[in-house]
Amino acid sequence: MSSKINGHVSPQPCPHLLVFRSRNGPKPFRALKDCIRVKPPGGRAAIRREPTEVARCGTCEESSRSRLYACVACAAVFCHAPLLHSHASDHSLSIPGHEIAVDVDRAELFCCACGDQVYDRDFDAAVVLAQTVNATATTSTSGSTAMQCSVAGSQPENLRKRRRVDYRPWEPDSGEHISRGNQSIPLLDAANASLVSSTQQPWGLRGLNNLGNTCFMNSILQALLHTPPLRNYFLGDRHNRYYCQQKNGAINGTKNSRLCLACDMDALFSAVFSGDRTPYSPAKFLYSWWQHAANLASYEQQDAHEFFISMLEGIHEKVEKDKRKSQSPAGSGDCCIAHRVFSGILRSDVMCMVCGFTSTTYDPCVDISLDLEPNQGGSGKSSSAKSLNSFNVEADCMRPNQNCGISTLKGCLERFTRAEKLGSDQKLFCQKCQVRQESLKQMSIRKLPLVSCFHVKRFEHSSIRKMSRKVDRYLQFPFSLDMAPYLSSSILRSRFGNRIFPFDGDEQDASNDLSTEFELFAVVTHSGRLDAGHYVTYLRLSNQWYKCDDAWITQVNESIVRAAQGYMMFYVQKVLYYKESENQGTS
Amino acid sequence: MKHSVNRPPTPDGAEDQGNEPILQEIINIKLIESGEKERLMEMLRERLIECGWKDEMKALCRAYVKKKGRNNVTVDDLVHLITPKGRASVPDSVKAELLQRIRSFLTSAAL
Repeated sequence: MSSKINGHVSPQPCPHLLVFRSRNGPKPFRALKDCIRVKPPGGRAAIRREPTEVARCGTCEESSRSRLYACVACAAVFCHAPLLHSHASDHSLSIPGHEIAVDVDRAELFCCACGDQVYDRDFDAAVVLAQTVNATATTSTSGSTAMQCSVAGSQPENLRKRRRVDYRPWEPDSGEHISRGNQSIPLLDAANASLVSSTQQPWGLRGLNNLGNTCFMNSILQALLHTPPLRNYFLGDRHNRYYCQQKNGAINGTKNSRLCLACDMDALFSAVFSGDRTPYSPAKFLYSWWQHAANLASYEQQDAHEFFISMLEGIHEKVEKDKRKSQSPAGSGDCCIAHRVFSGILRSDVMCMVCGFTSTTYDPCVDISLDLEPNQGGSGKSSSAKSLNSFNVEADCMRPNQNCGISTLKGCLERFTRAEKLGSDQKLFCQKCQVRQESLKQMSIRKLPLVSCFHVKRFEHSSIRKMSRKVDRYLQFPFSLDMAPYLSSSILRSRFGNRIFPFDGDEQDASNDLSTEFELFAVVTHSGRLDAGHYVTYLRLSNQWYKCDDAWITQVNESIVRAAQGYMMFYVQKVLYYKESENQGTS
Repeated sequence: MKHSVNRPPTPDGAEDQGNEPILQEIINIKLIESGEKERLMEMLRERLIECGWKDEMKALCRAYVKKKGRNNVTVDDLVHLITPKGRASVPDSVKAELLQRIRSFLTSAAL
């Protein structure tokens, strides 16, 4: 009875609606378009009435019913309260062809015979149109093109449909068999078995020595070493450092081949996953990174998030220089593995508060930086005590309850995607008004990355007061996270209410097939002060948590992780988190 | 959109209010005409979202739809389902605030 468009269910019309449409031409609700009134731009849609006009049921004269419907055929208004009486139903029964009505307060179509809401594409489009553009008589036509442009027309190229490739299983050919034998060591044989299974720790857990305030680097590297798609990429030999250096040596003609952070990552993966448990010193990596980020090359403490960003840039830059590809669309992740894994697309809607015109832009992003909410009065001191008690409660089922005073990651995301009124000192230029106006801005996520990195803005730098401070407030984060409410499709749907929303046309986008569920796999925490602090990473492997404190790796209870002060949280798409619960020892 | 002014009220004894509008009706009309009802509705919506009432109702509806099957549920079913629970679970603070707003409106409107 319903078909899928864009992964969302589109309801089929009821028989009465079909009959109505067949009788009244292709666009039977055209007349209603002019009757839709929207409160201040962006508000609710309702059927237009004079301010002094009070809607009443034609049968019982009651105006205080909660559901009043206007018959689309004859414009008579009736109440509908199925338990007591439904004069709307009576009307539909008494006159055939008068089953379809519209809710006067909500501008939603209703079939009185079926007792259920029905949907019509044209009607919903008209409602949405009225909500997005203040439809004064002259601008109705230009308004519709503008809306179509901003919503459906201007798709970034990377959202085009991608052709799927058939799956073909792979077998090594003779050449690959030989190189396999030459350049690899057996992971599990009699000699090595003791090395691997003695500590009972999963693969890839190896301490990283602190080379002088390099915990910022070690913590991020530990997280990246266990980012499933990244780990698979390097362990799957997708960037072979020998081949890459050889190629670059040939191009440059010098033995001291060019800097390639991806090669250094490859070396790091090889070292960490070799089975050797003694702590590893990532000196070569540090040196390479210094060359890349010269301004940060020192033994001073650095910010882990800055390091993360510069690392991704470093991997990207090298690849781009190499391939000299024509600019692949931003956010598609086609350029390099760093973007393939971390790059998502954010959508920003800016609506003019005066005329309602909305402009939409898409920007790629590799992570999301979240503000901690301003301290809620009263419960600041006691929140840490409260938070300890609530560890037994799975964070997912906690409501955004402001009484509690605990900041949650979900709360931060909700605030991130909330419609925000920009201050009068931040007026933005409105294309329609041709002047700067006060605006309403709302962010949402157009495309989810494979791995979502959330960065909590704990370090406040105030250039005005020439000081920085750290925000220590505890942030609760869930182990499983569903990103659906923060997607553009969800945000838009909640903005316009219950409509068939012709979002991005009817195209099936490959990214919509991926689920929105994510699993936490790494947490980078910071303890201490702004100028003297320490980074530690917690990793989740085989459903166990491990604390990676530079060279020391210990298994810890999940309650320790929940209590930690999260600075960066790494979530991977649940579908890529496969086999994590299995024992990775010898299977 | 005009009401159907030419249509006489169906003589339905049980619901017929007679010709004198009762107090509730008068208040309702005053609220609507002054635009206060809309403001109250917006405030109410906000409060019910903040306290999680809306999420609760949503969850109830979801559970019901899951049980019955997506294609076997109508809007009327859902309204019938959540109306009693919904009315009962509105927090007292919200009711009190709403009453207070209406009271102050009435005192100001009477002047």
